[in-house]
Amino acid sequence: MSHSVHIDEKTAWHGGQSPFRLSYGKIFMWFFLVSDALTFSGLLCAYGFIRHKYESIWPVAENVFTHFPFVTAHVPLAYVGLMTFILIMSSVTMVLAVEAGHRNDRKGVTLWLFLTIIGGLMFVGSQAWEWYHFIEGTETGAMRQVWDIDQHKYVWQLIHGANMTYNEYGVPQFANFFFFITGFHGFHVFSGVVINVIIFINVLIGTYERRGHYEMIEKVGLYWHFVDLVWVFVFTFFYLL
Amino acid sequence: MEFHDNYPQYETMYQHDEAHGKQIRSKLWKVFWLLLAITLLELFVGFKATSWGLLGSTFLKFFFIFFTLVKAGGIVLVFMHLIDETKFFRYAVLLPYSVFILYLIFIILVEGTYCGYPANKTSLDKNYKIQQIVLRKYHKQPVPAELTEGISEQEIAAAEAAAATETHAE
Repeated sequence: MSHSVHIDEKTAWHGGQSPFRLSYGKIFMWFFLVSDALTFSGLLCAYGFIRHKYESIWPVAENVFTHFPFVTAHVPLAYVGLMTFILIMSSVTMVLAVEAGHRNDRKGVTLWLFLTIIGGLMFVGSQAWEWYHFIEGTETGAMRQVWDIDQHKYVWQLIHGANMTYNEYGVPQFANFFFFITGFHGFHVFSGVVINVIIFINVLIGTYERRGHYEMIEKVGLYWHFVDLVWVFVFTFFYLL
Repeated sequence: MEFHDNYPQYETMYQHDEAHGKQIRSKLWKVFWLLLAITLLELFVGFKATSWGLLGSTFLKFFFIFFTLVKAGGIVLVFMHLIDETKFFRYAVLLPYSVFILYLIFIILVEGTYCGYPANKTSLDKNYKIQQIVLRKYHKQPVPAELTEGISEQEIAAAEAAAATETHAE
């Protein structure tokens, strides 16, 4: 990359220039991403501690996430692998859109940004599908103590699927953490898709052509890569470990 | 609405022509193939972990964490262009990540075991234990010793018999 802007170390912080050689928009997107990463790592830490507490009875992910669309076989973790692939692909198309923006190639930006949006929508749809199967559960089910309102006590009941109070796979925290962490991440993906759509519309109507640079694509690209990054961590800690 | 950063040179600094663009694109695709290969490797090992008897082992944990960090590094440095930024800014972003996230992972793995059984003798609900024993035996996965504490052979056999008569969706 050609860094044609020179920063003199002695006067870098004296004002009138950016000591990082970055526009403030990009700097603050980075700062936001660092803070959001800390939020997610806090959640994953909580997950780690609770999981350690229930280590021996924590469900094995291979036994729980075995479904694949349009296939009735037992394929552990295959769909989650596909979701990771889709998200990484959308990250690649995003960085290609950023690269096209650096060449002021409007057609390239339009194409790659559109593909990124499609990838994001596919991921959110897949996550919704995973949630559906997680909530629906298997035919086998499990016996759990469920609060009966009429009898005003806990009764043993064969339950299927999952909700925030009990689930057929293991302790209630298993479903709670699954919903909260993947849901929080899915919310980030969804908001990323919404932001991408807004920027895509801006590209179509030529806002950035008039402005002379496609830096907004870069900033939005940073957010999208962050979303992918978080998924890589969530995927490892939830499904693999 | 026009934004004026007062530093337009920073916005146009990374603009380049098609020839330079080709080089950059080939580097991006290389990193993509690397990420894909690592993901497939992780999935393969995760899939085979049961048959190789690695489930829950320390090696597996560090294996996955190491490759996750490699993937994260690839995404942050190349896709987010952090490697092209000023050294000072790289540190400003990566040092908090390293301290709070890497160290946090390490400390959870090391100190987290104090939350668990048997160091913390919280009595785990019997039904959860029996369910996990039956599931793990069905999938031929290792059954940890603390899981079978306080549960008699007859109870396990009864649960397995009950499970065998039910239909399995998978």
